[in-house]
Amino acid sequence: MEIIAGILVLLMIASAIAAALFKDLMNAVIASCIVSLIAAVLFYLLQAPDVAMAEAAIGAALVTGIFVIAVKRTKRFEE
Amino acid sequence: MRKLISIILLGIVATGLFMSISQIPFGEPGERMGDHFIREGVKETGATNIVTAVVVSYRGFDTLGEVTVLFTAAMGLGAVIGLVRRKKTHPVIEPASLIVYTGCRFLFPVILLVGTYIVIHGHLTPGGGFQGGAVVASAFLLMYLGCRGKRIRENLSRGLESLGGLLFILLGVTGLLIGGDFLFNFLPLGEAGTLISAGIIPLIYLAVGLKVGSELAGIIDHLIENTDELSE
Amino acid sequence: MEIFGMILIGIGAAFLLIGSIGIYRMPDVYNRIQAGTKCTTLGSFLTIIGVGVVQPEWFWKTLIIAIFVLVSNPVSSHALGRASRKKRISLYEKSVVDKTDEFTGQQK
Repeated sequence: MEIIAGILVLLMIASAIAAALFKDLMNAVIASCIVSLIAAVLFYLLQAPDVAMAEAAIGAALVTGIFVIAVKRTKRFEE
Repeated sequence: MRKLISIILLGIVATGLFMSISQIPFGEPGERMGDHFIREGVKETGATNIVTAVVVSYRGFDTLGEVTVLFTAAMGLGAVIGLVRRKKTHPVIEPASLIVYTGCRFLFPVILLVGTYIVIHGHLTPGGGFQGGAVVASAFLLMYLGCRGKRIRENLSRGLESLGGLLFILLGVTGLLIGGDFLFNFLPLGEAGTLISAGIIPLIYLAVGLKVGSELAGIIDHLIENTDELSE
Repeated sequence: MEIFGMILIGIGAAFLLIGSIGIYRMPDVYNRIQAGTKCTTLGSFLTIIGVGVVQPEWFWKTLIIAIFVLVSNPVSSHALGRASRKKRISLYEKSVVDKTDEFTGQQK
């Protein structure tokens, strides 16, 4: 279980760095969606299913949708 | 240069945080409240999900504050979007393909079912009003993305939102009149573990679920329908 | 009954493994989507139904989850494939046939 949690944490850090570095904001939104999804799985592994459910529904679905709409309405590429 | 300064500032903040937090003993029970909730929670509130017992019963007033925060956020978004002058053009949007359209229409009731299940089983299993409301709102997000042209009626979502808030306050005031405390649990607790138990906790979570779901769906509606595409 | 459920879970896991090998081995986007979708849809369907058979009181919930996966997985893959086709992501160079333009011309 600890090995799985360690791999997930490494993946989460990698996608967080990727979200900060991407110039294409749509890619950055998807990377931050991956961060939320892995955070939800980690919350479940740490026996907090309530928080995991909220994180999966809000962080992975709604926030991603709202960010995608916001990026489409404004500029897509960072200078 | 700016990056260097920001990294140095970040390091200073991190060191300060570490210095201040490292004095607190980690993992030891600092208070006696947690033990009390775990041992007596089911007996006192009738909810088998301890998190729900804390969120709705012991700390119910804070939940009212949280719901108000969400309401303020939705109101602020509506105000900001209302300020932007809209052109009355309706750009031609290419519709989604038939498979996506039909699939979204099929999946919509399933997601609604899951969200409602999470809301009304909040006192028994993990989940509750906030989580279920977010799931319901994501069902509406799917409909907005897959089936363009379909909208919720604005009056309906506003009405449901107000109804949720009103139900919350009414339950609290009724508890105040009967038991002397705001959000006093005036209904019988029933047998712990069954659907109709735990007094007013399921009713409060129903109100919270209605409010959260309609608010988030309203935010999505504002963002998708009331703003124009910026031409690139 | 429990053994039957275990067999279902085993078959589902095997399909998931084949799907992951397919995603790793296939040359371009469309082949990968195809490998991923077919194998993971059947694999997760069988796994979830198997869990429902092992624990009979969960059967109806697992049935709903399985139907959800059965519909949402192909639909999302279709949307992905259509989007990548619209972005003009090129096919594998050894591909034989490509009828997308002809077909989308018939649709309005």
